[in-house]
Amino acid sequence: MRYFLRKLGFFVGTLWAVVTLNFLIPRIQPGDPAELMVRRLQGKDSQLDAAQVRAMRSMLGTPDGSLWSQYWDYLADLLRGNFGVSYTYYPFKVGDVIGQAIWWTVGLVVITQIISFAIGMVLGAYAAWRRNTRLDTTITLGSTFLGTLQPFWIALVLLYVFGYTLGWFPTSGGYSASTPGWNAFFVEEVISHATLPALALLIVTPIGWILGMRNTMIMNLGEDYIRLAKAKGLADRTVALRYAARNALLPSVTGFALALGGVLGGTILVETVFDYPGLGRLMGEAVQNKDYPLLQTLMLLTTTGVLVANLVADLLYGVLDPRARRAEG
Amino acid sequence: MRISRRTSQTTSLLVGGLALSLVASGCAGSAQDQENEAADGMIAQLTFPAEVDATVGGLGNYNPYSPTPLTAVWLYEPLIVRNNLTCEETPWLATGATWDGGDKLTLDIREGVTWSDGEEFTADDVAFTLNLQKEFPGMDKAGLWNDTFGAPASSVTADGNQVVIEFEGNAAAKYDGIIGTKILPEHVYSEVEDPTTYVDKEPVGTGPFEVESYNGRRLTLARRDDYWQADKIKVEKIVQEGMFDSSQAALKLENGEIDAYYGDIPNPQKTVVDKDPENTGFFYAPAGTTVLTGNLEQEPWSDPAFREAISYGMDKESMSEKGIYGIMEPASQTGLKLPAMEDLLPEEYAGADTVLPYDPDKAAEMLDAAGYEEGPDGKRTMPDGSPLSVDFSVQAGFIDYEAIAEVVSDNLNALGVDTKVTASAPESVDEEKKQGSFNTVLEYLHGGCELARNLGSKLNSKQFPTEQDIFPNVGRYSDPATDDTIAQLSGATSREEQKPYLGDLVDVMMTEYPVTSLIYAPSRTIYRTDNAEGWPTEDNPYASGADDRLLVMTRLTPPS
Repeated sequence: MRYFLRKLGFFVGTLWAVVTLNFLIPRIQPGDPAELMVRRLQGKDSQLDAAQVRAMRSMLGTPDGSLWSQYWDYLADLLRGNFGVSYTYYPFKVGDVIGQAIWWTVGLVVITQIISFAIGMVLGAYAAWRRNTRLDTTITLGSTFLGTLQPFWIALVLLYVFGYTLGWFPTSGGYSASTPGWNAFFVEEVISHATLPALALLIVTPIGWILGMRNTMIMNLGEDYIRLAKAKGLADRTVALRYAARNALLPSVTGFALALGGVLGGTILVETVFDYPGLGRLMGEAVQNKDYPLLQTLMLLTTTGVLVANLVADLLYGVLDPRARRAEG
Repeated sequence: MRISRRTSQTTSLLVGGLALSLVASGCAGSAQDQENEAADGMIAQLTFPAEVDATVGGLGNYNPYSPTPLTAVWLYEPLIVRNNLTCEETPWLATGATWDGGDKLTLDIREGVTWSDGEEFTADDVAFTLNLQKEFPGMDKAGLWNDTFGAPASSVTADGNQVVIEFEGNAAAKYDGIIGTKILPEHVYSEVEDPTTYVDKEPVGTGPFEVESYNGRRLTLARRDDYWQADKIKVEKIVQEGMFDSSQAALKLENGEIDAYYGDIPNPQKTVVDKDPENTGFFYAPAGTTVLTGNLEQEPWSDPAFREAISYGMDKESMSEKGIYGIMEPASQTGLKLPAMEDLLPEEYAGADTVLPYDPDKAAEMLDAAGYEEGPDGKRTMPDGSPLSVDFSVQAGFIDYEAIAEVVSDNLNALGVDTKVTASAPESVDEEKKQGSFNTVLEYLHGGCELARNLGSKLNSKQFPTEQDIFPNVGRYSDPATDDTIAQLSGATSREEQKPYLGDLVDVMMTEYPVTSLIYAPSRTIYRTDNAEGWPTEDNPYASGADDRLLVMTRLTPPS
């Protein structure tokens, strides 16, 4: 029990620190959103027009009160689920903006992450089981090579080859001519628009899992219980899957939970390349436009995601592996 | 062994899935590409990128007073279009505007215009829109009701087909802002509680197009048959979709997926035009001037002789070559965009070459004469013998600025002026401008038509940057006589009246060198001509393609 309480306490403490940092960081940054909005409408390094800045500032409103009272207001607003109004999408609320974008990212990124994880586990385990064969070498070397490539670079290549040169796939957006909803045309468009971005992510993301799984699996294969299982005359498949792979999976589960939480960062560029309307792209926009309300909420969302994933993994670990509980308790 | 079979099953499933989506995309593609045949003399459809970089769909808003409406061009119209290149005025919703002194402006409102819902457009709509800006300062982009650039308005009244704006004092410099005001329908917006936060989902405008559909991504606009100058609009349909970076945009232009792009594509001649010279073109209209600004409160920039001398040492051709592929011309030291604004040039400079030549020998002589002597190490010193150095801050990531800064620094070093370039984040360069702690920067001199507000602001001691805002006089040029001239200029209501004051400002530029003009900065249009002709070009520079889209639309015709 103490183990779980400690983990929970740690979670709450970190969450508070994250919220506070999230409040402070934009406020110590140079630059003024109203000025930036006027600039954005007129082009980079444009000459500021005093009348326009004045109008924009009066539209967006400037925070008032001391830093303390702003902080308390911020905490109170957070608890009420009020994240403010986005500057980029003014006058829409941050909640509405994120509510629109989140499904694209959940659809694209979460699904590719799950597929990546599955591919990684299977290929990794297989490479370890048939280690030092030509197949193992191909998988290991191949993924080491591919791992040096950046997803956004792959995205650009895919875009050029399959999007523009061959014209097989649409080149931007999440959909195009169809009306969002449950109709065949929209579903078709979503699938065809998501294919290239998904591929760009799928080529690189499994690699970490493959290599990680292969190494843990090889370590596990050297353990005495595997030798015992083999000596007992158990079928190869049983030994590989039920003994070695199962144990090797454990560290990867934690890793996977963490990766899901932190997935947003890696997709900013891929989503930008494909003009994909998800959270990554939104985050890029928020940074570019100094859209603090939007940026803060996105940061909060990701950091909370990582923290929750961490907590879940810790708790799961405690349940799955009694040693963890005993060692710390 | 068994594992291997299972893996291959998984693989084939994956491949199958891919194949399926391939088929799906094939269908989507064909549905997307179909275009209707246009009637004779008409253009069936033009496709542009989305106007705003806000990519999250489903949050459509057409309110022209929100910062990022889905389209700011095609639905709501201004009173008079003053094109951004030549400053020529085209009457729009107002057929004319007359100043009576500098404190009363009378607008003649066009008759026979209808809103897209069939209601009649009247002078009351204009008065309503202008008065609404008093109640909601967030809408007041022209500064009509406050004291920026002239006295605030005291009343706006509609009288027959005229609207009369009275001011508390001289307000002539607000003219550009006033005529550019997007007019709202009173019968719709009078019901709106707060027009700055209002989400306008069903726009009612006077413009040439109306919304046909918006699916959260693709905005389709249809031509209005009852538009007041419908005979000039040959485009049946506009589709605006997607936000592209330069490489995406170049490919889309090449494939004919978009008809025009207004962003930066590096080297458009090579990237776009050379690949298809028949059907593509580009026009980079000068929008302003990239200038070298020294901090006039610091050495060595506080000395006009130094500023003048180095102004002759700037290799502008090479800056254009390295900064923008040689597309933009070296800029006139007058601060005016020439030759587009040629008729604004005071007589004494008419026909004179106001683009300073690159003449390093002359620059060196002038530096010698001003007392900046060259030491044995080839480096010059201040007249009092102390070391002379120039600290150049440039915005990292502004590739054109970085390239120009390099040439400037090479030029200065060649003259014996020890120059060091530091690239830092644009925000911190902005901070240096606000604090006045920079020594040398590159910046932009806007070539807008209201000269008191643009060129004037660069030289006005009331326009120093503050801790909060970077107002235009970054170099902090301060001269009471110039301030006076600017005040007179901003009070003048006609070009004729403005000319003598403008002459004085040009004199200041040509003799005091508050900033050194380098090359013109562009407003970019890269276009295709297989669907529409009549874009502004080098040979027919009637407007800026990007900033005067409404005006350009009235000139587009199907290819002959």
